[in-house]
Amino acid sequence: MNSYQRVMNTLEGQPVDRLPVFAVLGAYGATLTGVDLRTLFSDAAAYVAGQQALQTEYGFDLVLSAFDYSVIAEAFGGEVAWAENQVPNVKRPAARTAAEALRLPLPDIQTTGRLPMILQVTRQLAASYKNQVPIICALPGPCILPSLLIGLEGWMETALFDVDLAQELLAYSGQFLVDWAKALLDAGADCLVVTEGMATAEIAPRGMFVKQFLPHLQEICDRIPGPKVISSTGGHINQILDVLTDLPGLVGVITGSKDDLAETRSLIGPDLTLVGNLDNLTLPGASADQVYDLSLACLRTAASAGPFILANSGADVPQSTPPANLKAMQAAAATVSAEIGCGL
Amino acid sequence: MDLKSWSDEMLEAMIAADRALAAEIVERALAAEVGPRRVIIDILDPAIVRLGLLWEQQTLSLAQNFVASKIAEDTLIRCLPDNSAGQHPKGPVVIGNIEDDFHSLGRRTVGLFLGAAGWDVHDLGNDVPAEQFLETALQINSCLIGASAMMQTTALNIRKLRELIDKHGLTNRIKLAVGGAVFNWRPELVAEVGGDGTARNAVEADALFLRLQAELQKGAMP
Repeated sequence: MNSYQRVMNTLEGQPVDRLPVFAVLGAYGATLTGVDLRTLFSDAAAYVAGQQALQTEYGFDLVLSAFDYSVIAEAFGGEVAWAENQVPNVKRPAARTAAEALRLPLPDIQTTGRLPMILQVTRQLAASYKNQVPIICALPGPCILPSLLIGLEGWMETALFDVDLAQELLAYSGQFLVDWAKALLDAGADCLVVTEGMATAEIAPRGMFVKQFLPHLQEICDRIPGPKVISSTGGHINQILDVLTDLPGLVGVITGSKDDLAETRSLIGPDLTLVGNLDNLTLPGASADQVYDLSLACLRTAASAGPFILANSGADVPQSTPPANLKAMQAAAATVSAEIGCGL
Repeated sequence: MDLKSWSDEMLEAMIAADRALAAEIVERALAAEVGPRRVIIDILDPAIVRLGLLWEQQTLSLAQNFVASKIAEDTLIRCLPDNSAGQHPKGPVVIGNIEDDFHSLGRRTVGLFLGAAGWDVHDLGNDVPAEQFLETALQINSCLIGASAMMQTTALNIRKLRELIDKHGLTNRIKLAVGGAVFNWRPELVAEVGGDGTARNAVEADALFLRLQAELQKGAMP
């Protein structure tokens, strides 16, 4: 059974030879190939080489197209902050206000900024790994997407104090997101991870999310074909999961690192795949034994209660994470796979 | 209606992220001849303190905290007499996001609460080099610097500011407060970057800065 079959079987609730393991490794590829992060996140060949090196060295059950949302901010006209030791970030958004953002032209997905580079990465990953290793692409959630255009503060201000304008901006940016998602699927993505920051308890209260954002999230998910996984990007998501399980095309949930996995399972029911929930910030400083124990705890809580994939819960795993810690995740999955009789 | 009831209503408005309702409460209190000073001291302040306790229990979101900071700002603008504008009895502070960090919302909210609490806030914005923090603090004679970071990678850049303060022999003259989401998730990072203290949220920033200021004054006593 290869990684693609293992993950697809998991998503379908079918037997697997061992429990699958994900790690969100983008920048980490540069530590193996020796390129700087600016090259990694602006040159398709360099990024794909990083994923190939990661696959050879660790063999996690996914390859990941670049998880870099500064690409989108830049395509709308924002400025990117490049750093030596972290994924590029948004230095200055394209617009100062929602009204200004609505006057921005929608980026041409095939030609603007680094958007074509991401599509090229996805195509090259598909050429190398289609039907062997799942090709995963991350998308900003439609409700947090406007923050890439006007900054989080500007988006909060609009969402909280000018609801009509907020809805206009959601509709405008939503069209881009649908087109972008379809382009990624056309390029070869097997599954889209929708990282919806607005759905986390840390960002918005449940009442606000349900009233102002859930209908938009449902609409956009309905317009995007293909299987989708919703992610909390590390924050608490359990408080809202009961209203997310019916999202069109939803096949899995990446729960927050501080969410209770058993509670998550009871909230999402027996069929959806649960993914998580190691803490990104723990991975660099912990020992391999500690990561092994933490992974065991996740696996023993969740693996026998329904389809489960062990993974970190946040964005990119820090480059300072020791290789032994990544291998400890896989060792723990092997241990629990044997315990619960995978492959028998 | 007693002052506690007004304050309870104000807290409810903050929790509901209802800025208009908060403004209405202030107007009703003023119309009921609650003096502007009492509105701040007995209605706004207790609500903010209790809001901080709720944040501690992790029952509040960034959106609610953001609206609460706006409510505090609105109330102060409405209730402070014109001639008190520009008065900052607690002294000057320097805040900013450390070099390479561009997550401004938390810092801006801290600035609003500190200003509301009577500090003279000098906000240097995003991506501020360590040298600029220190130069500004020395220029305006501030003994308090607040450095913000959201990510672990950028939080580590605060170490340079710590080293700079120590190198200039200012360890006992300038206190370094640190804050941002990553410090809530990994409290041990405060010591790792050389912070003298942190606050879990914007509401608690006033108490933190007062404590650090008091520590300096205590240390300066013969």
